[in-house]
Amino acid sequence: MKTKKKNYSSYAILTIFSLYMIFPFVSTTLYAMSTDWSKTILPTDFTFQWFVELIQDPNFNSAVLRSITLTLTTLAVVLVVMVPTVFLVYMYFPKVDSFMKGLVLMPYAIPGVILATGLLRMYSGSSIPMYAVLVGGLFIGSLPFMYQGVRNSLESIQTKSLIEAAEILGANKLTAFIRIILPNIKLGLLITTLLIFSSFFGEFVLTNLLIGGRYETIRIYMLRRMNENGHLASAVMVSYFILLILISLIITYLTSSKRKEKMKRKAKKVTLKNKEDMTITPQ
Amino acid sequence: MKRKQWNKSILLLIPFFLLSAMFLIVPMILMITSSFTSETTGAFTLENYQEVLTNPFYYQAFLNSGMISIISSVVGLVLAIIVSYAMTNLPEKIQDKLTVYINVAANFAGVPLAFAFIILLGNSGVFRIFFENLDLPLLSNFNLYSWQGLAITYLYFQIPLGILFIYPSLKKIRKEWKEAAFMLGASNWRYWRKVGLPSIMPSIAGTFVIMFANGMGTYETAYALTGSNINLVTIRIAALVSGDIYARPIIGSTLAVIFAIIMILILIVSQMLLKRVRRDLV
Repeated sequence: MKTKKKNYSSYAILTIFSLYMIFPFVSTTLYAMSTDWSKTILPTDFTFQWFVELIQDPNFNSAVLRSITLTLTTLAVVLVVMVPTVFLVYMYFPKVDSFMKGLVLMPYAIPGVILATGLLRMYSGSSIPMYAVLVGGLFIGSLPFMYQGVRNSLESIQTKSLIEAAEILGANKLTAFIRIILPNIKLGLLITTLLIFSSFFGEFVLTNLLIGGRYETIRIYMLRRMNENGHLASAVMVSYFILLILISLIITYLTSSKRKEKMKRKAKKVTLKNKEDMTITPQ
Repeated sequence: MKRKQWNKSILLLIPFFLLSAMFLIVPMILMITSSFTSETTGAFTLENYQEVLTNPFYYQAFLNSGMISIISSVVGLVLAIIVSYAMTNLPEKIQDKLTVYINVAANFAGVPLAFAFIILLGNSGVFRIFFENLDLPLLSNFNLYSWQGLAITYLYFQIPLGILFIYPSLKKIRKEWKEAAFMLGASNWRYWRKVGLPSIMPSIAGTFVIMFANGMGTYETAYALTGSNINLVTIRIAALVSGDIYARPIIGSTLAVIFAIIMILILIVSQMLLKRVRRDLV
């Protein structure tokens, strides 16, 4: 009886909270679908004209393209450099590992504005193109997520004993890494990649301070449009949210399938204790 | 044999250290050294610090940022605790779904957030019109483009950020503890005061520091909402290092160094306090 009552108030609190969280999304969507909404509580008409206009705007299309190019370039650098680094550090360099743990708090200690100040000090007017500097800055900004993401995946598959087993069976480190570790952390890597993808895609601070209007990404386009035509800007934001929500749905789907896989593995462990290694090793 | 392999694998760490040096360590060192060089002669000097520390315009920026961050993190933290607690009373499935949406909301900051709040609370915002129609002068003195407006806007991303840290630690409180306490005759209030709260206290303190630091470092939301009209540390630094008319990169670097020192000190002190609290608990 008592718990029921508590549940009602919990539901009430969460309903109010959800409404508060949803309100800005709803109002932006309504704004994107109307032509006039300034003196009434609800918009007076309904239209898709802004979305049509948006798709036809070459500036919008090139802003999306620029954001995607920047995101993919940086992601490639981050993955190629960080996956082997975190693996090696986790396995063989515990001293470096404890240093890298400190990195996790870095974005709170050194906000984007400070990083941009340092980068501008060093590279403005130099021969290194600002685009490369931006990629480098974003790389630094993503280190905490990447480090934690990769490290958690490595821990969850018990990398150390897997590598040991592979070495006893005669595989060298590189083979063990490529054929055993990589396939097993694939899912965790994908989740981390998607998280970093959405943060790069919506990046503003570094892009705006380092390159600014000369390289108009989606967020900078949004801000410029916001000061010209709010309805069109809302249409940009709505499309952007839809993309973000899609990405997070994929992440949840992957996370839950990862959990299922883990549970399956655990169940197998109980019944066929010795087959554990076989289920993990590819082929 | 073993040694050789060790050497080879340390070579693979070079790209990481090279990139960190190029885009983090050396730029930070340059920023620090340039804060000690004179704007006119380029010689070593302390006058930049003297200027920044004596000019009310600059320390006002720190005060404004600090005030907005403290208010938005205290209020945000209280609300985050209430919501997290309510979440733990729901069925597992709903809890899982909620955490996803909270993740999305915690990332909903910056330009889109600023614009959504302009639609809701701006000069011709929905709520303003709603209250005017009801003849309630609730919002007549409220200005979204002031520091109060910024604090309310920050709250929107501070609450979900707080939940992301508080909720997992609330989930760790074991049901058995509560049952044991009740069995020994504790009231609900006494249980929370003696067992529940002390066990989540370290994570509450840690979350507060992260929320505060997050508020201090916020640039995009404030910039999108008020341009450069509100004097905040981040806005000031950005205007000094990249502005066209008022660009004074060396003063900007000086402000950035002081800002970084404050943030790092806050984080170090909080880590030390947390360790002590944890030791007391064990």
